[in-house]
Amino acid sequence: MAAVPLLLGVLTLVFLLVQAAPGDPFQFEPAAGVSGSAQRTLRHAFEADRPLAVRYLDWMRGFLVGDLGVSFTYRRPVLDLIREAGANTIVLAGLATLLQFLLGTAAGLAAAGSRRRWVDRILTGLSSTVYSLPSFWLGLVLVWLFSVRLGWLPVSQMRSVDAAEHSLAWRLVDFLRHLALPCLALTLPAAGGIALYVREEVRSQLGRAFVQAARARGIGEKAIVMRHSLRGALLPVVNLFGLALPGILGGSVVLEVLFAWPGMGRLAYQAVLAKDEPLVLGCAWVTSVLVVAGSIMADLMSSWVDPRAREETA
Amino acid sequence: MGGSAGEGRDGVRRSIRGGFLASACLGPIILAAVLAPWLAPLPPDLQEDVAGARYLPPLTRAYALRLSSERVRVLVSLRATPTGWMGVRNGRREEFTASEVLGAPVSRFYLLGTDSLGRDLTSRLLFGIRHTLVIAVLSAILAIFLGVAVGAVAGLAGRGWDEGLMRGVDVLRCMPRLLLVLVCASLFPPSTLLLVLILGATTWTGLARILRGQMRVLARSDLAAAARASGASPLRVALRHLLPQATPLLAVNTALRLADIILLESALSLLGIAAPPPAVSLGGVMASGSDALAEAWWIAAWPGLLIAGMVFALRSAGARFLRLPDPPSVA
Repeated sequence: MAAVPLLLGVLTLVFLLVQAAPGDPFQFEPAAGVSGSAQRTLRHAFEADRPLAVRYLDWMRGFLVGDLGVSFTYRRPVLDLIREAGANTIVLAGLATLLQFLLGTAAGLAAAGSRRRWVDRILTGLSSTVYSLPSFWLGLVLVWLFSVRLGWLPVSQMRSVDAAEHSLAWRLVDFLRHLALPCLALTLPAAGGIALYVREEVRSQLGRAFVQAARARGIGEKAIVMRHSLRGALLPVVNLFGLALPGILGGSVVLEVLFAWPGMGRLAYQAVLAKDEPLVLGCAWVTSVLVVAGSIMADLMSSWVDPRAREETA
Repeated sequence: MGGSAGEGRDGVRRSIRGGFLASACLGPIILAAVLAPWLAPLPPDLQEDVAGARYLPPLTRAYALRLSSERVRVLVSLRATPTGWMGVRNGRREEFTASEVLGAPVSRFYLLGTDSLGRDLTSRLLFGIRHTLVIAVLSAILAIFLGVAVGAVAGLAGRGWDEGLMRGVDVLRCMPRLLLVLVCASLFPPSTLLLVLILGATTWTGLARILRGQMRVLARSDLAAAARASGASPLRVALRHLLPQATPLLAVNTALRLADIILLESALSLLGIAAPPPAVSLGGVMASGSDALAEAWWIAAWPGLLIAGMVFALRSAGARFLRLPDPPSVA
């Protein structure tokens, strides 16, 4: 329940920040055909001419009833915009997050559990290299290789311009071809970080007494890793996953901008640039709710993985 | 930590190797940043001849012919002809009579190529490293200062302070970081100072939380009790007795924070939030290269490699202090 004042604080802070930003979305260059009163009319039409306190209260009320206002730039309800962009982002970043954790955990386990030293060394070296790469630089490298040099995959956008004229199967393949590069660029660096983390966690579990006891009982090394140390190592990974959930909607701003992917990150970025107040606030609202939901989810998941945590909360 | 003796030795050996690798990466980079004005073959924003020198690939040998005090022509494969000079400029052959040219041609060697305005990338990157490091170090100092101040006060000053400060930290942690940065950046005209403030102000909350935890434990330790019993004031206990205990934590955190800030700075450059033009940063060079990927891969390639090298080195230096890595920043 601590989440409610937390959200309230976040929203108020964002509201004040956006109010403090200079520039006016209703300011026009004087031009032919635009009268001075157009500004006032527009401001009135978007209800932006009311006093600050009234707008603040109205806006707070809006979150309760699910009315996030109308975007200044798109002239459409913010909720619709967020719904569309959110769906696009969930496909891209959701898939990437899933792959990050699958790849990362698998690589970390393989590195920690391997008897052969070179396997561990190669996997660890690869992970720490990949983890150091700026994700959008990786994106640039991938675009250069697969789009510019080889010409296999499209440079940006979510679907081809003429996609509507084709069959469903064609459109699906087209979509996947557009998805491949941004998804890969988003997946690899974080997967490297997770791999290193899992490896260290499993390694630290392997030194513990219950693992030595298992070893003394003659249990094979693979079984020790999979059955005994994985469980202890999974706990922080699960926590990490909860913390990563909000990043699914907000964390890929740069890659979405780079690949012109019409998702939440790009929407928020453009909204800030255009000083599209309702849209910025709406995006902030969605992401903050997700952060809070993510940490609650992490708690739930860790009590599912770890009985000790369950007893503490009960 | 802990583990059997054999594993411990292995860990020490590994961390020494990691430290060696880190300093092998970081040493030259820091040296390059310090010596940039002396190492750079050309001024970083020198645009001698935009059309002639643009997008020259790495390892290009070119020559600058001065035609007048402002006009310079940059040519490759320059040859002397009976009447003057002949060379290739922007893919076309051009000839100049000896009377047109002031002085002798000056040799230019573009080790890492040139950018879209014909500027030497070697020089730009040297100054870019310098600027990026200055930004990163200043922001990290700010972040560490904020993190230590808030963390220590919350951990030591009693329940009310703790509650209030930590709620504030939670609010900040719930803000989508990039959105916060974007909004802040749109508030003020771009400058290096603003960038430092933004980067510093958005990266300290993690440290504050960790430090608060450590301070709370330390405050109940014998160490604190002994210091208090010897008559030290609460402030002195905190500053002289408890905070020094957090030095390893701070060392690790500084290295990891620097790495994060360097990555964040380069991401912001791509979104158009950077120090304004005369300043060159690695992220800025990389962002400018993203538009010219087909013509000149090298513009984006070098800064990316440098950033990756710096981040790699800083993180292995951090891991050297503490064997368990920070939870990776996933977002």
